Amino acid sequence: MTFLHPLILLASLGISLPILAHLLNRHQVQHTPWAAMQFLNRNVRVRSRQIRLRDLILLLMRCAALLLLVLALARPAWQGSIANWFPGESRAGVVIGIDASFSMAHGDKDQTRFRRALGQVAVIAKNIQPGDPVSVVLLGGENKVLARNMAFDQNRFSDLIETAKIVPAGLDLDRVPGQLKELADDMEALNKEIYFVTDIQARDWNESSTKFQSALADLGESGQVFLAPVPGIDGNLAMTELELVSGVLRKGAVGRYQATVKNYGTDPVTNVEVQCRVEGVQIDTKTIPIIAAGASETVSLFVPFHNSGPTRITAEITGDLLPTDNIRRVVAVVRDRVSVLCVDGTDGTAGRLLMAALLARSDGSTDENFQVKSIPWLSLPSEPLEEIDVVILADVPEITEQQTKQLSQYVRQGNGLVWFAGKNVKANIWNERSASNSQPLLPAKLGLPVDVSTGNGAGRPLDPSMPDHPLCLPLRSLPEDLFSETRFLTRLDSEIPSSSFPILKLAGSGDPILLEHSLGRGQVFMFTTSAETSWNNMALTPVFPMLMQQMVTYLAGREFEPSQTVGDSLSLAYEEQPDASDAVFDSPSDELITVPVREHRKQFVALLENAREAGFYEARVSVQAPGLPIAVNIDSEESNVSSLTTPELNQNLDSTNIIVAPSEAELASAIQANRTQKSSWRQFMLIGLILLIAESFFADRLQKRKQLKGPTDNSNLGGQDG
Amino acid sequence: MTEHLPGNNYLAPELLQKLGDLELIAREVVEGLRVGTHRSPLRGCSTEFAHHRQYAPGDPIRSIDWRVYGRSDRYYTKLYEAETNFDCYLLVDASSSMNYASEKVSKLEYAKFLAASLAHIVLTQRDSVGLSIFDSEVRAHLPPRSTMSIILQIDQLLRNIKPVPRSSIAKQLHDIAIMMKRRSVVVVISDLLSDVDDILAGLDHLRFDGHSVVVLHTLDPYELEFPFQGAWCFEGLELEEPITTQADRIREEYLANFNQYMTKLRNGCAGSQVDYMTVNTSLPPNEVLSEFFFKREAMINGASPGARP
Repeated sequence: MTFLHPLILLASLGISLPILAHLLNRHQVQHTPWAAMQFLNRNVRVRSRQIRLRDLILLLMRCAALLLLVLALARPAWQGSIANWFPGESRAGVVIGIDASFSMAHGDKDQTRFRRALGQVAVIAKNIQPGDPVSVVLLGGENKVLARNMAFDQNRFSDLIETAKIVPAGLDLDRVPGQLKELADDMEALNKEIYFVTDIQARDWNESSTKFQSALADLGESGQVFLAPVPGIDGNLAMTELELVSGVLRKGAVGRYQATVKNYGTDPVTNVEVQCRVEGVQIDTKTIPIIAAGASETVSLFVPFHNSGPTRITAEITGDLLPTDNIRRVVAVVRDRVSVLCVDGTDGTAGRLLMAALLARSDGSTDENFQVKSIPWLSLPSEPLEEIDVVILADVPEITEQQTKQLSQYVRQGNGLVWFAGKNVKANIWNERSASNSQPLLPAKLGLPVDVSTGNGAGRPLDPSMPDHPLCLPLRSLPEDLFSETRFLTRLDSEIPSSSFPILKLAGSGDPILLEHSLGRGQVFMFTTSAETSWNNMALTPVFPMLMQQMVTYLAGREFEPSQTVGDSLSLAYEEQPDASDAVFDSPSDELITVPVREHRKQFVALLENAREAGFYEARVSVQAPGLPIAVNIDSEESNVSSLTTPELNQNLDSTNIIVAPSEAELASAIQANRTQKSSWRQFMLIGLILLIAESFFADRLQKRKQLKGPTDNSNLGGQDG
Repeated sequence: MTEHLPGNNYLAPELLQKLGDLELIAREVVEGLRVGTHRSPLRGCSTEFAHHRQYAPGDPIRSIDWRVYGRSDRYYTKLYEAETNFDCYLLVDASSSMNYASEKVSKLEYAKFLAASLAHIVLTQRDSVGLSIFDSEVRAHLPPRSTMSIILQIDQLLRNIKPVPRSSIAKQLHDIAIMMKRRSVVVVISDLLSDVDDILAGLDHLRFDGHSVVVLHTLDPYELEFPFQGAWCFEGLELEEPITTQADRIREEYLANFNQYMTKLRNGCAGSQVDYMTVNTSLPPNEVLSEFFFKREAMINGASPGARP
């Protein structure tokens, strides 16, 4: 016999109170000689015995009731064969963890893994007694606890399970044992059962850490663990990437997007149709003839931008068993036109080279929607910046404080600034002016020119290992020999704060060549080398035009373009302190989420901590303001839906005592076989209460009988009688 | 101290007990009694001069009428009516049950006070007082006499007797009745804790012999009220088996039984023309006797002996 709350048994010492009272009552009998025994003899003798018997019965009833109530509160349970001798019910506290990652949506419409998981949950529910504590958690993404220690009621439980939905996120398997253990430990039950219903994705289980294995073993200490696997077939196609690879995001231009489709199945898939939609309108369709098993294929999707403003672009495949990962979304902020202003601090060489690189037209013709203009640095004060999208400062010796403020404000509004070093740059003046604002204009503090040439006087090439940055995308496609032709002789030394990060570095030394930092809603790129050829030969290689065009594309169309993943934070940056204290995010399911605006690193940002849905969110500075779309995609790693085989699963659970029940029948059988304990607290409580009521009734009845006889008139007994 | 005689608390039974000298006690009681306006109930039996007869050897010298001797020079003695028609017998129950005392004075001691006081009253009226002490049998019997020494004898006899349980009272009354030669006033001082029929049978015998019977039913206040609370073990004074019980729970039944007994006894006495009175030992003896004499006088003046409320 075991008890859930053994300490409560100490309360059973309380039965000593009525016994003590009884004994004290007995021991407090006073003795007296008595003459008038004849009036006691006839009736009292019998009565005395009766009273003694009744007192004893009442005492026994009180003691038994108290003992039974204490036992009931201590929640006793019988284990083993002895359980057959006592009344009781097979009771257990149940924790159910349901894998709700989007891989569970894989399968035919009515036979998805999730549906089968809910079938297993129904089997579990059939074996739960009303009133038993139940906790249910949806595992996936942030894990959502649907019920914590809920007293089981079949209807309420069914309603609760109906609200369970798949989340567009993956399963963090390492967190599962901890989550289930926390729920189990929080539960007050003598016999605990922990159920984990999952599709045992091989991706998760094969990569599970030793920590997970030990956590799984520890989970067994909190209760008996049942694993109800609901595996499915492997085949799955997923749209894993959709990226802008070329083109300028401006009205009238055409952007080239690259969509990647991966086949996670074990069989090749043919004729995969990829549809591209812009604002819901299908504008391009490509077919991938065949995708080998486990391979990825890409297609180029050409998107013409007919209108300016934020544009929602999707690439989608169809005919798949898992629709969640068949779509990828991006947002392109298309401008009416893109205008670049090159401010040349040299004798004109830098401006000319920059224009050539940006226009990339040998005939010198111009495009009315893409304008590049070069001016000498002394003309900058008179140049209006409102019409300019990107300003490039090449070897500009110095700027005034007013110009610094003007450029800072310009960048904060969401525009781009590119800064090139050069022999004319007066580092100390730039440092002083740049630091005069609350946040420095340039990403780094400037130093002296440094010779970075190799020992034989040749320039140093760029480091081919580049960060995962949109600027690096075109460079990666260059042949290595062409990439290595770019050589650098001199660079400006720089002191990089933590808010900036390098994008391009020199091979060998790791010296930064290109730095980036954010300023308000805009970005600033800083080359530590020159735009013209005195410190490098970059302008003479294919790297330069590709880099500059990508940079202008990035800066001109960057706003809200980067796609986010479910679970990421979504941010809305403000140019200056906003009037409203809250920003509004519209979720893809049209839920309105209000987020307070906070100051972060001297900028005002509204941060939505966790994007729970996949689709297009809309961020608004206020409820009435126009929305700025943000694309949120699922994490495609979860798309690998292949499940563990039975031997693999057994191998994984080798060191644990977890019971695996693949089918509903096996699960029901396993529950019955495991539930050998009988809980008797209800019976004890019931009998205890009945005894208590009976004792009260009995005592009350005795009292009433005594009262019914009424008082005896003995008024003539105290004095003389004639 | 009683409520009836707030100024005479020196007559409380506890204080009388401390006096020790029964004659003194009797005198105190009787003196206290004279404070009231009651007349002696035995006055109707008072002595009166009858006639003279010639002195014979053996007659008491003090009974010689010296005036007659002065006139006739012969010895004559005076004869009184009282010597021939009034004896008072005090029948004191000294059984074990009389030893019960809820406070300091037992029923037996109280009976002693009553007997001594009555003897004192009778003797001061120059009547004779006889005494019988009984329990399971007649332990002592003093024929009537007119000297105060009988009070001392009462004290001495009661002190020497070891109480014995009594099973019946009729037998003793029968025996005593046989011993009484003349019709007398018989005062029975007892708790009468016996079978009512048995008691009445004994009393009837006395009445049948022509005695005027007075019953002073001496009871302790606890026996009258049964005020016990909680668990009590009652140990019978007449060798009954002890009874342990919750006294407050059985009080009602006790009083019911007791009332039934009292009613039967009272009715029986009335039917046998036995003068009956319940004596509560918590009350001063003088108060009890005062009440007794008042009722006795009322009876003599016309009311029938058994016509008690």
